[in-house]
Amino acid sequence: MVELVPSLLRQELAKLAEADQRIDGRGRWDSRDITLETDCLYNAEGSAKVTWGDTIIYAGVKFEVRTPWPDRPAQGSLMCGAELRPVAGRKYEPGPPSPQSIELGRVVDRGIRESGCIDMDALCIIPGEKVLGVMIDIHVLSDKGNIFDACALGAIAALRTSTVPAERFDIGEDYPLAVSMTPTMCSFTRVGGRYVLDANDEEELGGDERIHITLGDEGHLHSLQKGLKGTFTPAEFAEILDVAQSRCAELAALVNSKEE
Amino acid sequence: MSGAETGAELRLVTPGEAIGASTGVRAGTGTLSQGENIIATRLGWVKELNGTVSVDPINAAYMPRSGDLVIGVVESVRNNLWFADVNGPFNGLLPMSLAPWKVEFGAARIHMDVGDVMLARVQEVDEAHNVVLTMKGVGLRRLKEGMMSEISMNHISRLRGDGDSTLRALKEASDCRIIVGENGRVWVDGDAAGVSFMRQVLDLVRNGGHRATFDASLEAIMNDAPGGVA
Amino acid sequence: MGGYGDIQLLNEDGSRLDGRAIDEMREVEVEAGVLPAADGSAWVKHGLNVAVCAVYGPMEAHPRKIQRQDRAVIDVRYNMAPFSTSDRIRPGYNRRSREISKVTAEALESVVLVERYPRSKIRVEIEILAAEAGTRCVGITAAAVALADAGIPMRDLIVGVASGKVEDIVVLDLDKAEDNYGQADLPMGILPTTGEIAFLQMDGDLSVEEFNTCLEYNMKAAKEIHVLMVDALKRRYEEKNGGEA
Repeated sequence: MVELVPSLLRQELAKLAEADQRIDGRGRWDSRDITLETDCLYNAEGSAKVTWGDTIIYAGVKFEVRTPWPDRPAQGSLMCGAELRPVAGRKYEPGPPSPQSIELGRVVDRGIRESGCIDMDALCIIPGEKVLGVMIDIHVLSDKGNIFDACALGAIAALRTSTVPAERFDIGEDYPLAVSMTPTMCSFTRVGGRYVLDANDEEELGGDERIHITLGDEGHLHSLQKGLKGTFTPAEFAEILDVAQSRCAELAALVNSKEE
Repeated sequence: MSGAETGAELRLVTPGEAIGASTGVRAGTGTLSQGENIIATRLGWVKELNGTVSVDPINAAYMPRSGDLVIGVVESVRNNLWFADVNGPFNGLLPMSLAPWKVEFGAARIHMDVGDVMLARVQEVDEAHNVVLTMKGVGLRRLKEGMMSEISMNHISRLRGDGDSTLRALKEASDCRIIVGENGRVWVDGDAAGVSFMRQVLDLVRNGGHRATFDASLEAIMNDAPGGVA
Repeated sequence: MGGYGDIQLLNEDGSRLDGRAIDEMREVEVEAGVLPAADGSAWVKHGLNVAVCAVYGPMEAHPRKIQRQDRAVIDVRYNMAPFSTSDRIRPGYNRRSREISKVTAEALESVVLVERYPRSKIRVEIEILAAEAGTRCVGITAAAVALADAGIPMRDLIVGVASGKVEDIVVLDLDKAEDNYGQADLPMGILPTTGEIAFLQMDGDLSVEEFNTCLEYNMKAAKEIHVLMVDALKRRYEEKNGGEA
């Protein structure tokens, strides 16, 4: 379903931007409040619930024992997928995975994969025969804006608190999955002509293009994505990258605080 | 309308709950007569008035009725009519003949395009829930400026107050023009400070409209109103 | 139901493996209004099962061919999250979830006053986040609370409950092992005020006497869960009323 954008909303967002204000009273680089819970789902080997303002997502980790890909006989695998089912909001419709949900899953997947936080060699059980597959599934339950950052946070938090069910697979005792880094995502949306951090649903509805930045522990970039119609300048990117550096560090600290 | 205002005994009921014996009273909205009892069909507050028992729902979708003043958003435009989202289950239809302009066939879009916001009245609702809108009438027009926001149906009366007293006070305090549509949409226009104050008020209505402390909270933020009238 | 072979489901003293009495249900928690994006919502934890339900509408029924001129259609989607079971489920619809969605929709249509909203649809999205056994029942309970929370008129709530048979004994509310290795499972959707039944399925082997015992257990459990549902709905607003009442 295509959402209707009232002309008054775009007008208002432009007016607010001129006065350096936001529709919900936040500053340009302020985030909404975030609550992160981990280990919250029976049956998932790692799980997280993220409440990001009024946006709510769950992430769950499952493992499987499988035969390795022929070209990488001694490496396990990682997969991250997101579902944007009709539960998440009025605008979501049933049917096969939408391009939006595929984009969401893949952007989160790249950030985690490319950071190298999972050692694929360590997921090998018997070279050429048995390896572990790690699967992160993200489920959006309430979309009130910026699901990307919420999903990325939930995914890495679920992963970092997950336990490999080795006993169930007859490969020894259960052990915590080794994750060497905490990549987190920061998203910016053009609202009223300028970028803001963590747009809410109204800002997304009346806004334009968005940029997603995933940074690792050293502040290195691991995944970038520009979505929706619009262009930006290198100067604009430099400005938001600067904001992302400090914000991602805060998000990583939040995730790390959930581990013993 | 929520029980908090009446000061009388408050009783919150859930669907299926027996409210009382059906003898001597009529089953009003939000209730059903079932056997010897009147039962609630909605989550809400019990109200008894002139021998009719009803339930004031806490949450309800907007169901258009003829005569309602509504704020609509144009969803599509045809050669000779507009379809508008009026926050209800069905789009409203504004025929060219009920628009405030002389429109030539095929030129409807010049006057009002997709996304534009209108103040209209419900002319008629037929049995199949088709909603016909009109913009012929005093004050009915396209809303070209200002901001639009939504509140839930049961909060409309909190925002208005007895005999529109709260609404009048808010208009004065914010120095804004404010229109509260029967469909839960609120339109506000004024200077930046006034609009920002009203945004705060609407947030309070949305989050605290049920609370008994609503009036006190409202009074508190009225003190900071740009118009300075508390 | 699977065969029960050598798996022992009852202790020597006749109590169940998790310590419950045969007519005792698992612990249940209910919360209303948990999803800000939805018109109405509910969260139900039943044993280790977790179900979340969002309700949207009434809204115009699309596509047009599903519209009914005289009433609303209830469009239910029951879905298990990929991480809800011990082996990951591939996302997407399957035959099981389609069947459960269909009979759940019909059960809900039996209590919702659908004739109030001709040509419209009410979307009911049931998401199972953790599955232990009995998820369809938990989904029904969550759906009823979410519908009431959305302000949809109904003549009663519905409670999802199940009883079954393990080692020739009728027990209330099967857990995972009992469901996998027991002899029968009888899930029901019960209207708690009137005692009518709006949802019924069964598989396995039950004598008429055993069926009647199951029915009796289900009725008893429905009343207990109903109290929690009502409390969840009222708690949300009575708290907001600042204890004025």
